[in-house]
This record gives sequence, structure tokens and C-alpha cells, in this order.
Amino acid sequence: MNNGSGKKRPSPASAPHPPPQQQHQKKHHPAMEEEEEMDEDVFLDEALLHDMEDHKELLPNSSGQAAIIRIFGVTREGHSVCCNVHGFEPYFYISCPPGMGPDDISNFHQILEGRMREMNRNNRVPKLVRRIEMVQKRSIMYYQQQGSHPFLKLVVALPTMVASCRGILDRGIHIDGLGMKSFMTFESNVLFALRFMIDCNIVGGNWIEVPAGKYKKSAKNLSHCQLEFDCLYSELISHAPEGEFSEMAPFRILSFDIECAGRKGLFPEPTHDPVIQVANLVTLQGQDQPFVRNVMTLKSCSPIVGVDVMSFDTEREVLLGWRDLIREVDPDIIIGYNICKFDLPYLIQDLIREVDPDIIIGYNICKFDLPYLIQRAEVLGIPEFPMLGRIRNSRVRVKDTTFSSRQYGTRESKEVTLEGRVQFDLLQKEDVHHSIISDLQNGNSETRRRLAVYCLKDAYLPQRLLDKLMFIYNYVEMARVTGVPISFLLSRGQSIKVLSQLLRKARQKNLVIPNVKQAGSEQGTYEGATVLEARAGFYEKPIATLDFASLYPSIMMAYNLCYCTLVTPEDVRKLNLPPECISKTPSGETFVKSNLQKGILPEILEELLTARKRAKADLKEAKDPLVKAVLDGRQLALKISANSVYGFTGATVGQLPCLEISSSVTSYGRQMIEHTKKLVEEKFTTLGGYEHNAEVIYGDTDSVMVQFGVPTVEAAMNLGREAADYISGTFTKPIKLEFEKVYYPYLLISKKRYAGLLWTKPDKFDKMDTKGIETVRRDNCLLVKNLVTECLHKILIARDIPGAVQFVKNTISDLLMNRMDLSLLVITKGLTKIGDDYEVKAAHVELAERMRKRDAATAPNVGDRVPYVIIKAAKGAKAYERSEDPIFVLENNIPIDPQYYLENQISKPLLRIFEPILKNASKELLQGSHTRSISISTPSNSGIMKFAKKQLSCIGCKALISGSDRTLCSHCKGREAELYCKTVANVSELEKLFGRLWTQCQECQGSLHQDVLCTSRDCPIFYRRKKAQKDMAEAKVQLDRWSF
Amino acid sequence: MEAMEVDTLQRKQSVYQFLDEGFKIQKEMYRGQQYSQIYFARLHLMRTLLYSLLPNWKPHLPVCTVLGLEEGKECIVVGTLYKHMKLKSTILDEYSKERSAAPLVKPHNFIHPDDQLILEDESGRVKLRGNVLLPSVYVTGIVVALHGKETGAGDFWVEEILEAGLPEQIELPLKSEDKYVVFVSGLSVGSSTSNPLQFQLLVDHITGYLGDEKEQSIAAQIVQVVIAGNSVEIPGGLLNGQNLASKDQSKMSEPVKELDILLTQIAAGVPLDIMSGPNDPANFALPQQPLHRCLFPGSSAYNTFKSCTNPHSFELDNIRFLGTSGQNIDDLEKYSEAKDKLDFMERTLRWRHIAPTAPNTLGCYPFTDRDPFFVESCPHVYFVGNQDRYDTRIIKGSEGQVVRLVCIPRFGETGIAVVLHLTIYDPGQRVHFVVGRRLVSV
Repeated sequence: MNNGSGKKRPSPASAPHPPPQQQHQKKHHPAMEEEEEMDEDVFLDEALLHDMEDHKELLPNSSGQAAIIRIFGVTREGHSVCCNVHGFEPYFYISCPPGMGPDDISNFHQILEGRMREMNRNNRVPKLVRRIEMVQKRSIMYYQQQGSHPFLKLVVALPTMVASCRGILDRGIHIDGLGMKSFMTFESNVLFALRFMIDCNIVGGNWIEVPAGKYKKSAKNLSHCQLEFDCLYSELISHAPEGEFSEMAPFRILSFDIECAGRKGLFPEPTHDPVIQVANLVTLQGQDQPFVRNVMTLKSCSPIVGVDVMSFDTEREVLLGWRDLIREVDPDIIIGYNICKFDLPYLIQDLIREVDPDIIIGYNICKFDLPYLIQRAEVLGIPEFPMLGRIRNSRVRVKDTTFSSRQYGTRESKEVTLEGRVQFDLLQKEDVHHSIISDLQNGNSETRRRLAVYCLKDAYLPQRLLDKLMFIYNYVEMARVTGVPISFLLSRGQSIKVLSQLLRKARQKNLVIPNVKQAGSEQGTYEGATVLEARAGFYEKPIATLDFASLYPSIMMAYNLCYCTLVTPEDVRKLNLPPECISKTPSGETFVKSNLQKGILPEILEELLTARKRAKADLKEAKDPLVKAVLDGRQLALKISANSVYGFTGATVGQLPCLEISSSVTSYGRQMIEHTKKLVEEKFTTLGGYEHNAEVIYGDTDSVMVQFGVPTVEAAMNLGREAADYISGTFTKPIKLEFEKVYYPYLLISKKRYAGLLWTKPDKFDKMDTKGIETVRRDNCLLVKNLVTECLHKILIARDIPGAVQFVKNTISDLLMNRMDLSLLVITKGLTKIGDDYEVKAAHVELAERMRKRDAATAPNVGDRVPYVIIKAAKGAKAYERSEDPIFVLENNIPIDPQYYLENQISKPLLRIFEPILKNASKELLQGSHTRSISISTPSNSGIMKFAKKQLSCIGCKALISGSDRTLCSHCKGREAELYCKTVANVSELEKLFGRLWTQCQECQGSLHQDVLCTSRDCPIFYRRKKAQKDMAEAKVQLDRWSF
Repeated sequence: MEAMEVDTLQRKQSVYQFLDEGFKIQKEMYRGQQYSQIYFARLHLMRTLLYSLLPNWKPHLPVCTVLGLEEGKECIVVGTLYKHMKLKSTILDEYSKERSAAPLVKPHNFIHPDDQLILEDESGRVKLRGNVLLPSVYVTGIVVALHGKETGAGDFWVEEILEAGLPEQIELPLKSEDKYVVFVSGLSVGSSTSNPLQFQLLVDHITGYLGDEKEQSIAAQIVQVVIAGNSVEIPGGLLNGQNLASKDQSKMSEPVKELDILLTQIAAGVPLDIMSGPNDPANFALPQQPLHRCLFPGSSAYNTFKSCTNPHSFELDNIRFLGTSGQNIDDLEKYSEAKDKLDFMERTLRWRHIAPTAPNTLGCYPFTDRDPFFVESCPHVYFVGNQDRYDTRIIKGSEGQVVRLVCIPRFGETGIAVVLHLTIYDPGQRVHFVVGRRLVSV
């Protein structure tokens, strides 16, 4: 329907020529402005120079091979741009040995060049070390009285040579007159792209102007971008993201999903399983509807309204068709589920070029979709497939990467490099089971259409998620604030962001940052933040919470903690600094005060926090939802950045660890918490004229919980405010204690575990706030979550402790009486590797193994989440032997093990909650009459049951009855009406449930006339639906025994 | 007592024909079937019907499936409507993470201005736009023919709608002698609000124990009593699977026994149809199956006593009756809007389907090859039980069909029974029973 036309980017016909009306406006710059939003990926390429002969005028002093930086971006009109930036050279610093004169330097240059030549024999660059210049700089480390020292700036030919040159200098070099000498290098670990951005004042998501006349259109386009030109790095004009330049570029976002025809029982592998469908949606950033909707299918497929269905006869055509689409549409961002690991590698090339996305989004794209496509293309022998990037003839590369960070944990993934395109991977989604996919594909064009609709839905979800979570705004703002390309934010940890800011600041101050060798943990650890002893209990009086606003950043600012203000112990003795100029931290370090030397870190923090304040103020004023999104993204980015500075100094394997700073920060923090506690408990006493003695019941890293003893929320709020103001006055600025909220009532279980109703205004509570309590964890069964949540509701909101106890008892009774909904008992764990690789036997792994033996087609595979329940088995059987597939349990009436759930799942979380409230919680809840009645279902598949003869029993009393009676024994005949009512009430309940469950699934799948196929085991009603179906059939049979 | 009167009044009789077969679920079992099949059956049935109407509606226009739509091409497409509703509650809400602190107040109506109609057939779905098709009037499950064209955005712009309209009707018999049918619903025996005396008054009125001779002579003209659901109210919480203590056992069977005693009195004199309703000890899903005879050991001994399905259909002297215990109309009220209950009733007839929201929001058995709620033949009297108030109206079809619509109020709350003259043009009577007094008004 929307074939071809409109898919392509608008033609940039007028763009490269300056429009005449602008010429007179800017006399000395007879130029049109060419804005482009800095794309995240800055690539470099070394082997291009032979093509550059005709650009000599741009490169005045070029000789031989050189690095060219490629900037991808979008113009305001939506044209894709590739800018080849020339002339920027890689460099780093070493400190100049004392007494080295100009002659020594040229001598040193020669020696170094020689050593470099040895290492780079094959390189034809005439001069490996281009220049060595003497500059005046200062190291950022330690307080120094002298303003600057001589440093040597080593400019090398290619970015890769920085590392080899650093290696030579690290190991030591023989210099005439000085002997063997090794050098400490400075800023030698800065990525070339980042170096360029820092030196040119460019941040991620930046608008860049290239004045007319200062660039030259590339004679031979190397990229698939609409505009491609060359220019000198010094001609770039970077616009700070303010005012009109804070706008977001019109990125093209491609969201896609692929379907593969898997073989029965196996997860699709690119070596065997063909790609059968690819669904694509392309959206312009900021618009709510995609402007391209299509699906490419292998073999015919019935049309879908509003979607362009393209059918191909061979898989090869599907893949190439996709590549062409990508080229045409030219997306900036690509999104999808699992695309990096699966879809993209499987497919990659087809679409990206045509669509030309700026951003690729998707679920798990990095782990499944993208690599799958690429590998598949290899298998099929389509060498022209994996050319999806924006550079001609450049292949997409897939490599396995392991990314670990404290924040995200270790995650294995495949890294797919697509020049000029950002990939967003949004992990996790629900799916049609892959064993069904093949059946649908092998059907007719109608069944394939069915599959295509699924595929499209999967492609649409990431787009919606992206919009909802405002990923793009947040990432672009984060990139702008921290100055790194967006791709760094996605693929690297926190420290690069701080490093980028530190480098930028240091450059302004003429400071250089040493390349500290990766010291590992040799520097040892330091004491972390303290937490005040928690006085566990159930508090029925309001608890005021005093919070330190941005505690760690404010400590660093207040005490001027920085690399450049730290005084070495040696210098403390030698320099004899006046005591009013230094401060000694509680951990024993010495820092100079800001009157002597202002720290860089405090300065960065100050800027970040002021900027955040401004952003928040602007946010209040802003009306336009898009502006709001940008501002909110910015203030969040600023907050995260400010908080990660402390972590940067403490990361022992980081770029520039300095434990003197981080341990000082935490020691101050501890001191402040203690100080606050002391002041509160001293001032707010009956002796001091207050009604009650205040009591600090708990203190966390940056907050202190106080019970003032007053009965109302309002009174607690007033005292809280008073305390915050009073105590703030005793701290060095900008450390500030704020009063924000009151908990009432408050259930304090232990350190980091509490629940309470949160009040920020005296008339109505805001919400229930819980921390460290089993309300969300996924590896517990749903029963735990429901039980805990319900109990907390009853205790905190309804203030009904007996009700909560009764609820627990009822639930336990239901569990023991086998009345529990099975879906509540399902435990889910991800299967990350095959059985033997696990050292300890785990329930879900064993089950997966057993299921594979039973039926390989439906058994879970690596990467799947394995749901299981614990069933009753022989005494002494281990938990891992007792795991079973919930579906199998349902179908065969296998009894679950209520004791396991009671002891291993619900008892601990329950006791944690109830212990502060009840005296004999364990006895009260877990023992007693409600635990004595037990009912266990009879399995229908066990060996012994095969020999059992089924005979009708009386519905009333279970006595065996003869065939002629059918329903009731003669004793129960009199109770006929009552017993019938019971049977029919049961049927009635089940019918209600059956209807609601199955119509919900129809709703979800978006079709009334087709059967529900979904087998997502992550869906909360999947087991209930299955069970309702089975129970319904049984209940109907029971009801039919009452003949009419 | 009657026998002792000098002038014995003879109760009139009429020819009764039982038409509930379609609503019976006997051999049908739950075998893993889903709801798609009933929609499929409905679409098939209705499409054949609608196609047969097209030559008289817009013969010049081509007919398309949803798949076959082409941008800008005017055509007619037939399909099932689906209403996407923002406020509709789902079972998934039970699992939502954020439980609001305040208890959820469930609105009685789920309509929202953003509701969106979608047309679906076996081939696919298309969003509907246009000014003629009001989302507040239509509900999920109705099959209609639409005239319009696909817009550039992939939506279908509706120009005009064709509903199936009233079905054919058997000829209304010529006016004969005076005969009455009594309708009552919501007796709610056993509920705290019901007054046993009120029900007794009604029974005495029907059986002719009350009033003067004139009234008795009218009572003698009652040829049929229909109880349209919710006859008993069994205290909640007694039926959750636990074995009952003997005192609870009696608490549960007490209302049923009481009902049986009163029904026996009626059945002894007048033919009686009792339909199952939402609160009765019957199954939940429509069509609700008849209340079990074992609940009525007394009255079921009479051959005048008939336990019927809900919906229920029968003929009296060739006048056709169709009615429900109210669920179909109550559900429409939750998911659409109308001036009054009679409007909803009229719509269901014009859509030719008395329960379009089944199975979507109204519980229903997953039929595999038929749709019992499809109205094949137009009734002369269409009644709905358990409504807030009494209301009635006559509607006419394009081919001379005449239907009397009757809303039967809940007797337990209002004390009102409806006495309908068999000549359906007669507006009928509302008999209001107040303890100690009896008002008969027209």
C-alpha cells in the first residue's frame, strides 16, 4: 500500500548549495548553515588516504596514511549525513625528564621512531611519530604548588600507535645521556574518537555546523548517506545543546522482528533454520505513527490492512530485500526484541541499507536477531548481505562480548558493529512457541499471514516501549551532559562518562591525566557507608525521614575533595601548609581547601548540580510535552552523572581510582549520619521543651529515620522540618539535610528491609513504600508476592493485624488443601547453559533435561525461562529431583508438595514481616488447626493407578454406589437439593473463570475468529487458562451425573 | 374452596408450545474448544443473511472481505464488530503490580470517549472511522454490513451501516377471547429484603383466592405464569466447596424449600414456567440450563410445572414469546449507552442477536457449530427479567412485524408483577402488591 514512495528520505537537492538569501546575512562567512546532529558513532578509517589525492587543499600538511574520523548524522530536514573529518591527529603526553633540551628531544624522537618502526614493520607510513612538542602542563594528581611543568606531547600517525608507543615507553627506552628510562604516560588511554570530541568541544547528540566553503563534497561516496563530504577538523563548529540547539534530531528509527522456522525441539540456529519472515516499522523520532510498515515473507502471504506485504520465493531474496529496505529507509536507530543476538546477525543486511535507520531498537536484538541474520547469510553464501552499515563494502562484524559492570552485572552478548547506526536492545518479550512457527509457515498463505501479524506485533512493541520509556530522550540528554557518544552509553559502563567530563575539564585547566596502570585490587578496600543499627519493630507513630540531598556529591564539594587537592603524606610534612588551608578527613587524608586550590571534581559536580537545578526549574515552566521530555531526560542524566563521580574514584579497576577520595567521602558520610543522630536525640527531648524524646530508629547511607513520638503526621512533619533546618545549619555548605517524607505506620524488619505508608502531605498518604521485601522478585513463586503484598496491605493500610493473620492462615490452609491456583506456585528460572555445565544440580536444569527425554519438541532450551513446580515424591528426594513442568502436573493431576512451599517459599518472608508484630509469629502462623487438614490429588499417571478400577462414588459422602443410582447413595438422597446446589455452584464459578480467561486471551491476540495460540509461560494467566479448561470439563461431567 | 362457590369459575386454557431445544446443552461437552468457533458460526450465519439483504440496499457496490479492501475503493464489507475499550476491566488487572491504596471503585459503565470500533472477519481487522458509527451504541460481537472505503491510513471510513433488522414473524392470530400471562422475576426468596407475605399475595391473586368475583374472573383468565429468574437467594459463602455443618445445610436449602411450597400452589392451578437466573442455583454461562427438578420435589410433581432455560422461548395460542432473566441487557448497559432498557432490547432484536456481548463480556458456553442467541424468528413478546422498573413499548419492523417489549421489575424489591393481555396491543397491566393492599394499575 505504501510501496516505495515516501519511504526514502526526502531528496537533499537544495542542501549542498547555499541558498542566496543567506549569503548577505553573513558577510565574512558567506555560508549556509549545515546543521547535523552528531551521531553516536564516530568511526575511523586508516586505509582511505589514497583516495584523497584530490583533497590536498583540505589537508595542507598531509603525507601518507592518516586517520579520518567519520561523523554520521541527520540534518534538521532529515537528510542523512556522513562527514569525513580530516587532519585530527592522535597524541598523548609524557612528563619531560628534567633538563631535556630541544636537541635532546629530537634525539629522543629518533630513538622512539626507531623503536616504533621495529614494532610496525609492515606500515608504510613515512613517519610513525609525527612530532614531539614541549608543552607546559600539570598532572591532575596531588596538590602541587608550582603552576606547571614541562611535558612532551607525542603526536603519532595512527590511533593504534598510541598504544604501541605507550607500551614502549612503559617498558623503558634507552636515551643517550639519561640511560634506560621508563615513562609514565598521560591521557594515552583516551579513545581516539573521544579525544577528537573533547578537543573539538563536541558532545554526543550535538549539533555541528560546517560552514559553506569549508567542506568539499566527496568525489566518490563511501557511505550510503545522502550527503557525504570532507572537511578539516578545525572547521567544525559545535553548538552547545541550548535553545534551538537543544532540539532532537529527526532520527529514523527502525523496529523489526524476524521469525525463523525452527526444527522441532531445537532453538533456531542460523546454520540450519531459514528466516521466514521479517517485519519492519520505521518511525520518525517524535511522531507517534510509523511511516513504513511492512513484512517480508518467504512464500505467499495474504495481505494485511495497512501493511505492505512483500512475498519472496527464496530466503535469499528475503534477506536481500531486507538489505535494500535498510539502505533505502536509512534508519538511524534500529530497535527490536533480541535483535543483537538473534535477528540482526541472521538477517542483517537487507533492510538496513534501504531504510537507513539512525537507531535500531529491539528486544534482545544484540543477542539473537542481528547475529542470527548475519550468520544465516553466511550459511546461504550471500556475501553481499552483511553490508548494513553506512559504509560501502564494509561488512557487519559479529563478535561475542561479555559486558560486565556493577550496575548491570555480567551479560554475555554479541557485538554487532554497524557503522553509523545505534542499536537498542530491549530484552525480553512473549512469543509464539517456535514449534508452532514451522507449522504456520508450512500451511497456506492464510496461516503465514497469521504469523506475519505476530511478527508485526513483535516489531511494534519495542517501538511503543521506546516511546513510553523515552529512551531516546534520556540517552541523548545523557550523551550531551557527559559528552560521550550515545553508543558508549549503551555498551560501556559508567566510568567513561566521568572520564569524559574529567578530561574536558582538565583540558580547560591545562591539566593532564595520568594513565594509571590497571592496579587491580592491590590498593585494598576501604570501609563502606554505614548504616545505623535498625531497631526492628512495628511503629504505629509517624516516623520522619531526614535525607541528605545528593550526599556524596555535596561532601566532595563541601570539603573540596579532588585528585588535585589531595596532599601526599610526604608533602604534608614537607610543604608545611597552614592549618587553615587544609582539612583532614575522618579517614586520615589531607586535602587543601578551596582558597588554595579549587578541585576539579567539585567544580564538575557544581556544574552538574546547578545545571540540574536549572533543568528542573525549566521543567516546571515547560508546557510542550517534547520539551518536557528533553528537560526531564536532562535532569535525570545530570543526577546520575553527579552520583557516578564518587563511584569513579572508588572503582579500583577503573580509569583513575583514588581511594583517598572515596574513603574520605564515605567516612564523612558516616560521620554525618552519626552527627545527625546525636543532634536529634540531644535536642528533641522533654528536657529541651518538646513533648516527647525523639529516637533515631534507623539510618541508611543518606537518610535518618526519627520517631519524634508525636501521634500525628502533621506534627511529625513540623518537627522533621525543624530538625532538618537546625542540623543543616551545622554542616559545611552545600551539605544539606532535607525533610521529605513521613512513614506512618512503619514496619522496620532489619537493615535495608522495611515497609510503610509514605506521606508527603499531612492529609493523605501517597503510597505504600517497601524495600527489600519479596514483592517483586521473579524467582519466588507468585504466591509469595501476593501473600506478602496482601499482608502488608492489611497491616499498613487497613491496620488490621488479626485480618492479616487470618489471611495467612486461610492461604496456608488453601495450600495444604490443594485449593491453590497452580500459576501461583510456578517458579521460573532462566536456563543459561546445558545440564552438565552446572556444577550444582538445579531444579530447573534437571527438569529441562527430563523434559527433553520426554519430548524434545517442547522442552526448554538454553535462553528460555523454565517454569516449574515442586511435586510430592519419595521421602528424602532432593528438591531438584522433584521439579516438574506445570503443564504436566495439570494434565496428570500430580500432587504438588505443599510442605516445600510452606517451608522453603513462604515461611521466611512471612516471619520477617510478622516477627516485629506478633510474639510467637512462627507458632501462630505456621502451626495450628489450619495446618492439620490436608488434601492431596490422586495422580492419574502413576503406576498403581493403572490397576485401579474406577467406580462411581456418592457425590455426598464418597461411598461407593451401584450404577443404577448414579449420583447419590441412599443416605444422601435427602440432601439432594443441597448437594446439587454445591455441584452447580462449582460449575458456575468455573464457567465465570473460563469465560474471563479465554476472552482475555482473545483480546490479547487481537482476533475473535481465530483460536488462541499463545504459549507464553510468562503470562500470569497461562496456567490458569489451561487449568480452567481442564477443570471445566471435569465439573461438567460431574454435573451431568445429575440426570434431569 | 373454588368448588364450594355456586358459580364455578373455569380457568381458561391455551395451546402451549415449548421452544427451548436450541438453548439446551446436553451432548455438548468441554473438549478444549475455544470461543473462536461461536464467533465463526455467528459470522457465517449473519453474513449469509446480510448478503441476502444487499440487493435491496446497495446493489451497485462490490462486496469485499477485510483483506480485500483497497484504498479509496467504495465497497461493502461484512464482519464482526469489536469495540476496543479503555476502561474495560480485565482479569490481568488482578496481577497488576501497582495496587492503588484506595479500593478500586468499579464503574457500572465502562464507556470512554476514546473507545474505538474495529471490524473483523476471518481474514483480518480494520479500524473503523466516520461519524455515522457511534462507538457508544455498538458493542463487541455484533455482525453488520458497512458501506465505506479504506483511507490512506489503513482505516475504513464508514458511510452507512446495515443491520440485520427484525427477522420474519409468524402471523399474529386475530384477536380472540381475553387471556392473560403473568410475568414475575426476582422473587429472591430467602433474601433479607424479600417479604414472604408479598409473594403469598401474588400467589393468591393468581390462583384466585383474592378479591371479589370480578377479580377472580380475571384471575381465571390467567393461562400462564412465567418466572424470569432469580427466584431464590442463597446466602453467599456457603457454597465454596467446604462440607457444611448441618445448620448451614438447612440455611441453604430453606429458601429453596420455601419457594417450592409457593410454586406448588401456583402449579396446582396454572401452568408455570420457571427460568434460571444469575442468582439461582444454576450454571453461570448462557444459555443457563433449567433448574434441577430435585430442587422442587413438590411442584415438579405437577405436569403444569416446567423448569426452563434462560433464554426461554415458547408459543401460546400461536403467539411467540422470547425472554431472558436480564443478563444480556444488563451487560449491554455496561458496555454501551441507550435512553432506556427498552432501547437496548430493541437493538438486540434489530441486530438479530439477543446476546452479542457473549462470550466477550457475558459468560457463555463455547458452542462449536451454532449460535443459539441468533434470533431466527421474530417473537411477538420479548421480555427481560430483573430490571429496576416496569416498562413496555411496541416496536414495528419494516415488514409489518410487531413486537411488545417488556421489562419485568424485580418483584422482591418492587412488589410488581406484570400481567400481559394476550392481545399484545393491549398495554398490559402492572400489578403492585403491597402487604395488606393490592393495587392494580394499567
